Amino acid sequence: MSPELAITLTVLLPAAATLLLAAFDKQPNLREAVSLLTAGALFIIILGLLQTVLDGAQPTAHWFDVLPGLSLTFEIEPLGMLFGVIASGLWIVTTLYSIGYMRGNKETKQTRFYICFAIAISATMGIAFAANMFTLFIFYEVLTLSTYPLVAHKETDAARKGARTYMGILVTTSIGFQLVAIVWTWVVAGTLDFEQGGILADKIDPTLLPFLLALYAFGIGKAALMPFHRWLPAAMVAPTPVSALLHAVAVVKAGVFTMLKVGVYIFGIDLLATTGAADWLMWLAAFSILAASVVAMTKDNLKARLAYSTISQLSYITLGVALATSLGVMGGAIQIAMHAMGKITLFMCAGAIYVATHKTEISDMDGLGRVMPFTYGAFFIGALSIIGLPPLGGAWTKWYLMLGAADAGQIIMVAVFMVSSLLNIAYLLPVVARGFFMGSTGPVAHSLGAAVAPTKGIQEAPLWCVVPPCLTAIGCLLLFFYVGDIYTLIEPVAFPEGRPQP
Amino acid sequence: MIDLFPPFLLFVAGAALLPFIPNGHPRALAAASVPVISVYLIWMMPEGMHGQFTLVGQELTLLRVDKLSTIFGLIFSLAAFLGLIFAWYVRDTIQQTMSLLYAGTAIGAVFAGDLISLFIFWEGTAIASVFLIWARRTEGAYWTGMRYLIVQVGSGVILLAGMVLQYNETGSMAFEAMTLGSPATWAIFIAFGVKCAFPLLHNWMPDAYPAATVTGTVILSVFTTKLAIYALARGFAGTEILIYIGATMAIFPVFYAVIENDLRRVLTYSLNQQLGFMVVGIGVGTELALNGTIAHAFASILYQALLFMSIGAVLFRTGTAKASELGGLYKTMPLTMVFCVIGAASISSFPLFSGFVSKSLILSASMQEGYYIVWGILLFASAGAFIHSGIKVPFFAFFAQDSGLRPKEAPWNMLLAMGLTASLCIAIGVYPYPLYALLPYDVDYVPYTTTHVVTQLQLLFFYMLAFVVLMKTGIYPPELKSVNLDFDWTYRKLGPAIIRSVRSLIQAVWGALIGASLRGLNFGVATLERAHGTEGPLARAWPTGSMVLWIAVLLGGVLLLNYM
Amino acid sequence: MSTEMKTPETDPAKLPWLGRKLLWLDNMKNVDRIIYALFVLCAGLIAADFMYSKKSYLAIEDIPGFYAAYGFFMSAALIIFARVMRVFLKRDETYYSPKDVESEAYPEDQLSRETIND
Repeated sequence: MSPELAITLTVLLPAAATLLLAAFDKQPNLREAVSLLTAGALFIIILGLLQTVLDGAQPTAHWFDVLPGLSLTFEIEPLGMLFGVIASGLWIVTTLYSIGYMRGNKETKQTRFYICFAIAISATMGIAFAANMFTLFIFYEVLTLSTYPLVAHKETDAARKGARTYMGILVTTSIGFQLVAIVWTWVVAGTLDFEQGGILADKIDPTLLPFLLALYAFGIGKAALMPFHRWLPAAMVAPTPVSALLHAVAVVKAGVFTMLKVGVYIFGIDLLATTGAADWLMWLAAFSILAASVVAMTKDNLKARLAYSTISQLSYITLGVALATSLGVMGGAIQIAMHAMGKITLFMCAGAIYVATHKTEISDMDGLGRVMPFTYGAFFIGALSIIGLPPLGGAWTKWYLMLGAADAGQIIMVAVFMVSSLLNIAYLLPVVARGFFMGSTGPVAHSLGAAVAPTKGIQEAPLWCVVPPCLTAIGCLLLFFYVGDIYTLIEPVAFPEGRPQP
Repeated sequence: MIDLFPPFLLFVAGAALLPFIPNGHPRALAAASVPVISVYLIWMMPEGMHGQFTLVGQELTLLRVDKLSTIFGLIFSLAAFLGLIFAWYVRDTIQQTMSLLYAGTAIGAVFAGDLISLFIFWEGTAIASVFLIWARRTEGAYWTGMRYLIVQVGSGVILLAGMVLQYNETGSMAFEAMTLGSPATWAIFIAFGVKCAFPLLHNWMPDAYPAATVTGTVILSVFTTKLAIYALARGFAGTEILIYIGATMAIFPVFYAVIENDLRRVLTYSLNQQLGFMVVGIGVGTELALNGTIAHAFASILYQALLFMSIGAVLFRTGTAKASELGGLYKTMPLTMVFCVIGAASISSFPLFSGFVSKSLILSASMQEGYYIVWGILLFASAGAFIHSGIKVPFFAFFAQDSGLRPKEAPWNMLLAMGLTASLCIAIGVYPYPLYALLPYDVDYVPYTTTHVVTQLQLLFFYMLAFVVLMKTGIYPPELKSVNLDFDWTYRKLGPAIIRSVRSLIQAVWGALIGASLRGLNFGVATLERAHGTEGPLARAWPTGSMVLWIAVLLGGVLLLNYM
Repeated sequence: MSTEMKTPETDPAKLPWLGRKLLWLDNMKNVDRIIYALFVLCAGLIAADFMYSKKSYLAIEDIPGFYAAYGFFMSAALIIFARVMRVFLKRDETYYSPKDVESEAYPEDQLSRETIND
């Protein structure tokens, strides 16, 4: 298969699968088989492309021109490749989990759910592989539209209200700011292509750069930078697999990924560094990181807490870009992978708890860990990864971002990452501690002198709600040891002049 | 590649397998055998750097085997063994596995040859140990555990920040002797200081240790703080500021220990104080002083564990460790009492007990280097140790007035663990030379001289005389049910109070702002309504008029962009 | 604390062997004897200072009974200072509750309360 065909297939395959999904509306087993097969096929194609990219190639696929110089084109560069691998890999896990969750929860309109899900993945692939800002923008909007029915899935008033906020903020920011930024970029640079080193150098008055950056930063509403973050908690009304999709696989990731692309390929790290155009963004991202964590601590609803955690965690990536150093970009890119793996684990665990007990509030979950040890074990590992503790993947994010901050001479940003770790503990680990140690649900076999009590009374959620989070928890552990591969992949982008020798 | 089997992997493997072994004697036996094998492994390891591999361009060294790391590895394994015997009857899987993981990460940390490996294990001890507090399964233990964990991981992230700055500055992640000066070294220093319970950074310890389970406290008392002592000895030996920090540490907790009611907290303060002696030794930094520090760490792990075990046994049988509730247990728990007294004699440095042959090295070293005031302070601190741990703990638990409690003697496993530990305390005190042989430097020190024995006995018996006189005259503070404010008050009461008032202030201001802007908005809408509303003057030209207006705005925007 | 735990009348037959031997301490006269023995020991230790040549670093160490006096007054001082300190620092046991273990009972199911009468 030629790389060009492969790229086209990654975008079209999930979209094409929707026809089959619709056809098997009444045969759930077949329908789910189609979902899984598509996910598997997509992942295999992407792995093939990964090999090509690792060999140093940057395959492209040109679809058609809209205007001279403005085209729907795809080109795979390392950042997009990383995003593509993560999104397609986690799609398999999410699909498995969706089957367990949707069936375990007896949700209605499951076919619509799987169709929208597939379109969202198509759009995500389009975003990942877009060769220019125009293509990216098109798929960015497709992603927003295709996820709207997913957020509103329950069709209750609360769900519709949440979905309206979701759609409202994302569309308004993208049209109101991002499109303006794109037009502006087009006008001054004459191109929208992503190029190593950026396209804006010497094309625009440096004093205007911060404003253009602001239009991008706020226009990419999916990155959930404060104060345009409200859509994310609002979207928590969605079923949990959707939340996983929003947070870990596609939507928010697409947002911060776009931030990375804009920072690296539109502005260029050197331009940001020399003009200091991103300084304000750095402070805003730091504020987002801390403020969202503090808000998360006050939330008793588990999914709401995780939503604010995402806002905080993804601002790491924005901060990484805003530091305007190679190590910051490296840290940001690594965070895409690490956060995806960690947060999807947390969300799937939250969903498993909901399926098994229909509990949503943390204060009601005392003692559940003893009843659902696997779910809670996975949650614990995912939480440790998000906090950034070794030997889990998240530790590397902190390491590279802190190195980036030190490299940029921003000691305060080093401190921000430190404080953020501690805040993460304060809002994530109570779930684990209360789950395992508080309350009196279930038999306890811990008395010093007591007879050995049998460990029975484990009542986990359905199998396919528990296995996927356990898999991703193991993934968090593996990522710690295989971070070198991500590093190698991203190296040409972060260090175009070769790896620094300290 | 890995050329030796790292002892920490043994513990991790043990922890992973433990849940699959039938709970009861088989599992307890399996757990206790892990540290025994670990002792063998450590004993057989040749000196040098082993277990080196590369991770993302960083050279990691899992095993730096030299005399300093070996002696800590040995005592950690030994203490883990004793602790697990003491915990033989614990049937809680989480406590069992976490005890092993905690010991394993601590041992991993002392063998870590670079800062990255050190950091990994450093955080590992924090995570594994908190479960021993949470395992008490009460609301209070949950909160205490959260506070403990945040402080412990806080130490880890400060270490990480120090490493990052260090790497940015020097490009090296080696863990070697450092000189205080750059922000990087200060951060690393403070990270060590948090785990070492430096004054004002110490609160996690008296907060958390008495909140752990009966067996958890024993295990907690061994690792975290001694790991910090190891790290300071490795990284900051001879740093003068440590002398003054250590001297403060050696006296500051004394007063709290004297008035504290919970005997496990008394012992925690005394542990903190013993660390002060070691920190002084590191600060003095001569061969004699460092030998003294390490010997004292070795001895103090044992006698401190012994004391925690004996009070733990009392708690296990009576449900309380509070001095005000206890008393008169010597008749029914005589063996526990004897072991407690042996621990007390060791911590008080009675001749023939372990403290005597280790603490005196530090005192002599500070004297030889001319730190006379520090020497005087340490002597004063020794008096404190004797009063609160040497007399108060055994006296109020086992003697004093009869509490009416008639508990049975501790179970066999606890007695066995205490008996073994007590024998070690005496063995070291009577014949210290095998211990001296393990120390990093050659020891040319004779603890048993006439002067040393006589002066030490004078001190001890006059401490005792003072205690008796003050008891008889009623000046000695009675044991009362109470808590005493320590520095943690700042973050447990003051901090939250400040946050609460700031929050209500922000809420008030925010509310006023929202109210004002809503009123403004209402006014604006009403004005627009008058102009554009169905009855308004502009309504007549609505379709074309507003269209033109908006196009004009758009065009203006584009023009503006063009001219920019 | 359960009241049935408290059984002050002790049947010596139920005590462990060492406990029976230690019943000797129940007699207050014997306790006084120990205290007298301590006085004698202290006096003896001061006397000992005159019987050997002290190896010392500081001149102050050579004063006979220096260590004895230092020990006595330092311990007395620290106890008195701690007592004064308590006036300012003492709070009720429930001061930090419910976020503190101080006012909680230790969970019964982790204990093995047994009395000698069981």
